[in-house]
Amino acid sequence: MPANLCITPDLGKEDMDPEVSTRMIILSSKANVSESEVVNFLHMLNLPITIKWTCYGAMISGKDEYVREAIRELRKLDPYGIFTKERGFAPGDPRRCRGHRYGPREGFHQMEKEFRILDYVGEALKNPREVEIEKKEPVSVDYFKEILAEEENKKEDDK
Amino acid sequence: MVKVAIYPPNSLVLADLIERKGHTPLALQKQIRQKIKDPEIDSPPMNITEEDPINGLKYAAIEVPSGVRGRMSIIGPLIDAAEAAIIVDGAPFGFGCVGCARTNELSIFCLRKKDIPVLEVTYPDDEDGTRLMVNQIMDFLDSLPGGGGDLEGDSDVLGEPIANKGGK
Repeated sequence: MPANLCITPDLGKEDMDPEVSTRMIILSSKANVSESEVVNFLHMLNLPITIKWTCYGAMISGKDEYVREAIRELRKLDPYGIFTKERGFAPGDPRRCRGHRYGPREGFHQMEKEFRILDYVGEALKNPREVEIEKKEPVSVDYFKEILAEEENKKEDDK
Repeated sequence: MVKVAIYPPNSLVLADLIERKGHTPLALQKQIRQKIKDPEIDSPPMNITEEDPINGLKYAAIEVPSGVRGRMSIIGPLIDAAEAAIIVDGAPFGFGCVGCARTNELSIFCLRKKDIPVLEVTYPDDEDGTRLMVNQIMDFLDSLPGGGGDLEGDSDVLGEPIANKGGK
């Protein structure tokens, strides 16, 4: 397969519909549900949406109202382990889907970074508590001079 | 309900938290979707047309590279629509989808310059940092008018449940 990063997509009727939206469902690593449970649950809702099982969770596409209904129901499974966001491209769009091109999908690196803190975000939402973080400050010049003087004194003593 | 601009404009955590609190995140994905669905675009794989750098002149001068202006033609309308903003500072290199440091600077400058409530949080790298960020965002969202979604993401957050599911 040639590395074609600019494939002309063959958009279907649904892809061109302005009322259709796509959402990514991303599970944190401490989520109480698995990707397969999410996909099965979405199928069992029997809504007219396209569901794609992915490595991070799932992707759903369809009329906005049905997508929102699906998200609302799905969140009840694990409110603090399931995160969602909008996606611009439809599932399987050749301009983004890795099945049609090389390399990581655009947006993968951002998602990888955010995935690392999803557990903490879920935990912070579940058990909110105040925290205080001590800001690290640079060493003051006076303290630095003190250390230098001490070291110099030690060297002189050794001589 | 308040339209909240986020930076990075495609952030999962920020968009999710804003929706949980019943506000609308101004995410870049919706803008991109309009671009890729527009039947008037001559060459569908290309998201940016020659019109976009011209539209970007509203946000950046003519001397500014066309790449910045083209990006601003997509991000600019989000900034115009913003009624509040959350900006993540100190993120690691490569965090965010814009792919242009100057566009990032210009967008954040435009958000700061706009007379709207702006929250700037630091990108967390540990559990306490994340807690602090989430607390700050939640307090900020509570202070905005018309919120009131619950954290579980029930009906308040995503609108009223639809009566007729259809399509069965």
